[in-house]
Amino acid sequence: MSEVNNTRGNLWVNRLKKDFRASLAVVLLLCFAPLVVTTPYSFGILIVSIYFALLALGWNLLAGFTGQFSLAPAAFAMLGAYTTALLDYHLQTPLSIGIPAAIFGTAVLGWLLGRVVLRLTGPYLSLTTLSFAEIARVVVGNSIEFTRGDQGLNVPTLFENRIGYYYLFLMVLVATLVLLYLLMKSRTGRFWLAIRDDATGAESRGIDVVRYKTLAFSLSCAICGLAGSLYGTFSQLVSPELGLLMQTGLVISMVVIGGMGTLTGPIVGAMLVYLASEWMRDFGGIQMIVFSAAVILFARFLRTGLWGLASKMMQGKGKP
Amino acid sequence: MSLLRTEGLQKNFGGVAAVDDCSIAVEAGEILGLIGPNGSGKTTLLNILSGFLAPDAGSVWLADERVTGMSPVQLARRGLLRMFQMSRVFTRISAFDNMLTAGLAMGLAESEAESRAATLFEELTLTHVQYLDAGQLSGGQRKLLEFGMCFIAPPAIALLDEPFAAVHPVMRETMARFIRSRHALGQTFVLVSHDMPIIVDLCQRAVCMNAGRVIAEGATRAVLESAAVIEAYLGSSAHV
Ligand SMILES: Nc1ncnc2c1ncn2[C@@H]1O[C@H](COP(=O)(O)OP(=O)(O)OP(=O)(O)O)[C@@H](O)[C@H]1O
Ligand SMILES: [Mg+2]
Repeated sequence: MSEVNNTRGNLWVNRLKKDFRASLAVVLLLCFAPLVVTTPYSFGILIVSIYFALLALGWNLLAGFTGQFSLAPAAFAMLGAYTTALLDYHLQTPLSIGIPAAIFGTAVLGWLLGRVVLRLTGPYLSLTTLSFAEIARVVVGNSIEFTRGDQGLNVPTLFENRIGYYYLFLMVLVATLVLLYLLMKSRTGRFWLAIRDDATGAESRGIDVVRYKTLAFSLSCAICGLAGSLYGTFSQLVSPELGLLMQTGLVISMVVIGGMGTLTGPIVGAMLVYLASEWMRDFGGIQMIVFSAAVILFARFLRTGLWGLASKMMQGKGKP
Repeated sequence: MSLLRTEGLQKNFGGVAAVDDCSIAVEAGEILGLIGPNGSGKTTLLNILSGFLAPDAGSVWLADERVTGMSPVQLARRGLLRMFQMSRVFTRISAFDNMLTAGLAMGLAESEAESRAATLFEELTLTHVQYLDAGQLSGGQRKLLEFGMCFIAPPAIALLDEPFAAVHPVMRETMARFIRSRHALGQTFVLVSHDMPIIVDLCQRAVCMNAGRVIAEGATRAVLESAAVIEAYLGSSAHV
């Protein structure tokens, strides 16, 4: 059940502004995490959860804002990571070029994938992106001459200490949020929402669906590619495991639990789900079962996710 | 010269000729009624005119430009806007945002789109629901919203596919009044409807289709009274 809101607060700009402010508040909170988090191990967990927050934001741009249910975010993280790693391995390209190259490369690949699935919707689109993701992973894993296969590749690091990485990931998160906020506030974002709700209707209004869909694909994949590239330099090892479908499953559960079609939801969802999955590591392979069940429950009973619930409660309180 | 005309349009679905050798002309500034029994090809014709279907043969002209086979986006840019028989609104954003999006898509600046949207909601007496998500509007309100979205930037031609169907009489009158006022300003319409009193009231000219073919055209009264049209509506066309 969605709540009924017939006030100016329900206008897209107002919803978006409130959402953006909340997402910045979460980031601000994360800035102070080093005051309480001290062990390198816990820092590692925080950094990886921000990596997932970036993937979640990237996937949400496609699925939550544009209505394109892609199953390839993890594959694009892998491709971004490999772009940087391969440039280093074969050509000794410095990271200052290797990381932008990952953004560019995944943007181009995302654009191509967007063209391929242009006329597809629903399950057909999902299955095609899934095939792409699996093919990419298998090709990377089997091109042993070129990629060293499952052994993976070593990548140079950007910082020796984890604090440096932590704040780098936070900065990238803020930059991504600002970019998404500005886009969603503009014509482009409104056209994405229109395409999500009714692509044929959007076309009839004169919205260039082809152009805006491929743009969303390109940008979403570039965000995932950048996240993957940075993650590679952080862990100093990239392997095809980055592109496992299970990683995409995690990303989807993060967005659905946090709140699809929002900025705050994916970040909060990523934090909660990743921390929970680390915690559940001690109990063996039950994570995916728990998260799948959570996704089903949220999809059934709480479509708007945790952020939807929170903003509903804030709205209730805000009334005179 | 006619503002919009078709020459020998043909569209077959399997063995069915949904549109069969159809030539019509829409004059600038008129409200052209498009009538015909269920399944006679009215929506298919509108789909071709708005670029959602490519014809198997024939051509479409907008003023002196041949626009056959152009995409809906290209045609919308040229001012050919259509309203669907089954409402298509953007359900998860507010009605007001729907209207704004329509304005932005037509190239209006945001501030301009906002003030025009506010005026349209007043004209259509929808102000009391303008901030609701469009998915929370009633069927009739959605129709009215989609109707309004066609006029945020006056189109060259508005193609309306049964705008009055399933709409409350009071709202119908609101729509009819809106059409009359825009017509007075020179707006051109193609109006598909099964509501003959409204067709008689609004349209100077009418075209009647049956089984994909134009069976009568001319002054509205004359079309409605022609033998071919009466026969088509009485359902004796089954043997054709
Ligand atoms: N996409 C399609 N695929 C196959 N047949 C179709 C398709 N669209 C329309 N038709 C057929 O074409 C014919 C004309 O349909 P159309 O929808 O144009 O009629 P209409 O005049 O708009 O009818 P109504 O008054 O009921 O809306 C019908 O026989 C219909 O079954
Ligand atoms: Mg029809």
